Amino acid sequence: MLTFLRRRITSSAIPLVVVILGVFCLARLTGDPANLYLPLSATPEMRAEFAARHGFDQPLLVQFGDYLAQVVRLDFGESLRTAEPAATAVLRAFPATLQLAGATMILAILGAVVVGSWAAYRPNSVADRVASFTSTTAASMPDFWFAIMGVLVFAVALGWLPTSGTVGAAAWVLPVLTLLIRPFGVLVQVVRGAMVSALSAPYIKVARSKGAGEVRVVFGHALRNAAPPALTVAGDLTVGLVNGAVVVETIFGWPGIGKLMITSILQRDFAVLQAAVLVTAVTIFALNIVIDACYALLDSRVRQGVTA
Amino acid sequence: MITTPRRRQAASALLALGTMLSAGACTVANSGPEPSSGAAASTVRIVLPEEPPTLEPCDASLTATGRVTRANITEALTERDPASGQLQPALATEWKQDSENEWTFTLRQGVKFHDGTAFDAKAAAFSIDRTVNSKIDCNVKGYVFGGIELTATAVDASTLKVKTAKPDPILPLRLSFVEIVPATTSATAKVREPVGTGPYKIAKWDTGRSLRLERFSGYWGKAPDFAAADYVWRAEGSIRAAMIQSDEADVAIGLAPEDGAGEAAVQFPNNETSYLRIDAAKPPLNDIRVRQAINYAIDKNGLVASVFAGLGKPAGQIVPEGVTGHSTAIQPWPFDMAQAKKLIAEAKADGVPTDTPITIIGRNGIYPKAAESMEVVQNALIEAGLSVKIQMLDVNAWLEYLLAPFPKDAGPTLLQAQHGNQAGDAAFTMGQIYGSKGAQSSYGTKELDELISAAEQASGEERQAAFAKALEYQNKEVVRDAVMAHMTGILALSKKVTYKPNAATNDEMRLAEMHPAG
Repeated sequence: MLTFLRRRITSSAIPLVVVILGVFCLARLTGDPANLYLPLSATPEMRAEFAARHGFDQPLLVQFGDYLAQVVRLDFGESLRTAEPAATAVLRAFPATLQLAGATMILAILGAVVVGSWAAYRPNSVADRVASFTSTTAASMPDFWFAIMGVLVFAVALGWLPTSGTVGAAAWVLPVLTLLIRPFGVLVQVVRGAMVSALSAPYIKVARSKGAGEVRVVFGHALRNAAPPALTVAGDLTVGLVNGAVVVETIFGWPGIGKLMITSILQRDFAVLQAAVLVTAVTIFALNIVIDACYALLDSRVRQGVTA
Repeated sequence: MITTPRRRQAASALLALGTMLSAGACTVANSGPEPSSGAAASTVRIVLPEEPPTLEPCDASLTATGRVTRANITEALTERDPASGQLQPALATEWKQDSENEWTFTLRQGVKFHDGTAFDAKAAAFSIDRTVNSKIDCNVKGYVFGGIELTATAVDASTLKVKTAKPDPILPLRLSFVEIVPATTSATAKVREPVGTGPYKIAKWDTGRSLRLERFSGYWGKAPDFAAADYVWRAEGSIRAAMIQSDEADVAIGLAPEDGAGEAAVQFPNNETSYLRIDAAKPPLNDIRVRQAINYAIDKNGLVASVFAGLGKPAGQIVPEGVTGHSTAIQPWPFDMAQAKKLIAEAKADGVPTDTPITIIGRNGIYPKAAESMEVVQNALIEAGLSVKIQMLDVNAWLEYLLAPFPKDAGPTLLQAQHGNQAGDAAFTMGQIYGSKGAQSSYGTKELDELISAAEQASGEERQAAFAKALEYQNKEVVRDAVMAHMTGILALSKKVTYKPNAATNDEMRLAEMHPAG
């Protein structure tokens, strides 16, 4: 297992360097920050002073070298927009996104396991058809539309929930529901498909013939074998959420990393953008390693394949 | 196969993750004083389109910063009445011009900063010097002062002298943008949470979530009605409007007609004028008949009535009424498609390449229905006989076309633009937009440059007349743009608050002008 993890961490290092370099170069292709941070009537001298003060007048290679030297010291520079350290802005926003993503995925996985298993238990039954219809609808739901309708119905018309914000448990309901609906729909379909195959396997008949209860058969035997494909899909969906739920963060005023990254791109706030992408990339690499490790734990063939 | 201890480990890990998330949820949920429907009546709740990047006073000319900072947290020596356009006393009670290059300001006495220190001429001199002469990229420096050189000196506690290298007849107006801070404020770095003399002080800024201002008990003027103001920000306009309807906010700004504010919506002139900048240096736009034809072809009344949903007023010049230099002689160009077709045909007959593709460079979201309005313009110009396509850009890419040096490989363009003159004097418009060397100018003439230069040196009634003359010359002899409309903003008010927005509201929202209803 340690060999497996070591190899995964090593293989992640190269993409990480590519990400750092890519973001640095692409950000600078978006144009001159002086156009945004100085008034339209600023004189050429003011623009030159601005560039010199922030090092934008240096060759790109020199700027990149300075940036790498800063990163090694865990210094990500200062935000052009807010005049605060870039790391402060990122470390403030990232937990908000992680909490939202975590809550969403836990609920989506739990819900999908229950509904998907229920549907697969009796294929083509009414329950199966209801679950299939519901999951297909959920998987195709545009999150922007769902969010706005949720606000209009539950906040404006009924007054049960706040429109937006982060204060109190009620404020979590609409953002989590909006984020939850698509992963839930997709996962229900994956779990159902995998469980239908698993429940028709010979070892399930053996387990039943030995007198195992249905709950144990479904959740103890079939689900364990149906888990790897669901885990793979859940992993992908989680990575998407950790990358920032921009639509939800924008509509509900959730101060997360997705909104921060978009604002940084639009405002050419290079330091914050670079820090946000780096932290997110490291987290996604770590998350992928955890998912691979779970995969290896669930399927001994994965472990053997790696250590052989 | 997974062994029992591994299952336990997995279960423990899941439990730990769940606990962490729950704890985190509580952290987020309880982390800020963000206002909700239970806010006290003595608090006004305001929802903005965006969080202020900082509350730095020397960046108060930035809309996102100024609408919170100006006249609420900090104050200037003078202030301009947006209704009359007249300059009024604020922290300076009176001022006089001693010579062409020197002014004396008498300062208000008995004024204290939020930290308890006294406001005096040293603080005023420091604030001016910090804004104009420091190296901290103050937005006000570029917006208001340009390359103007000046020095401010405290004569005594309540007398300030300001000397300029060149005569500046509107120095007191320029100083209405310099927010006064104590001399202890950093002169080498911007501050996020300033100390000022305003009626409100910063109580708590929970960055990313909310900002609370509380009434300053030591304020020199009349105490405002609301004891506190809670600001939150939501990027989506329909959410801002919904917050009024669900009693989560009392004031929502930056709304569009489609945001659904309903009866809570209040319209106000937002000091912005929409226009198309014509790239008059390139054929076929270098022929004045083509530029005149563009003006005749655009049905401004129809555009305002249908696309802008009636929000706006067809315009013929870039500065609205109330700004020094506005000319009452200039009327919006009449809609006359027959005349437009005739002018294009004449130009074509004289060898002007009227079939050269012209690109409208549009900017998404510059004002409500920005793309739709450009489609209307495109159709009109095609009907008049021009070849026109549209390219809608985001703000960054659009700025490359707005500001010199312009992209060299671009063909003839019509730039969708909008201009707001916060300062109330055409000097803040003419040079940069119509001057040959203006930062936003793609074309100018020597005659127009001379008229602008003369106007900038004039004062009083002469100044008004000189700028009006320059605008009239531009409209008749240069026709560098197609002005469309003086725009109208929308804000929404709850039934708990009364507030009368004005032309300055977009840039400064005075909490002292908000009152509890009834």
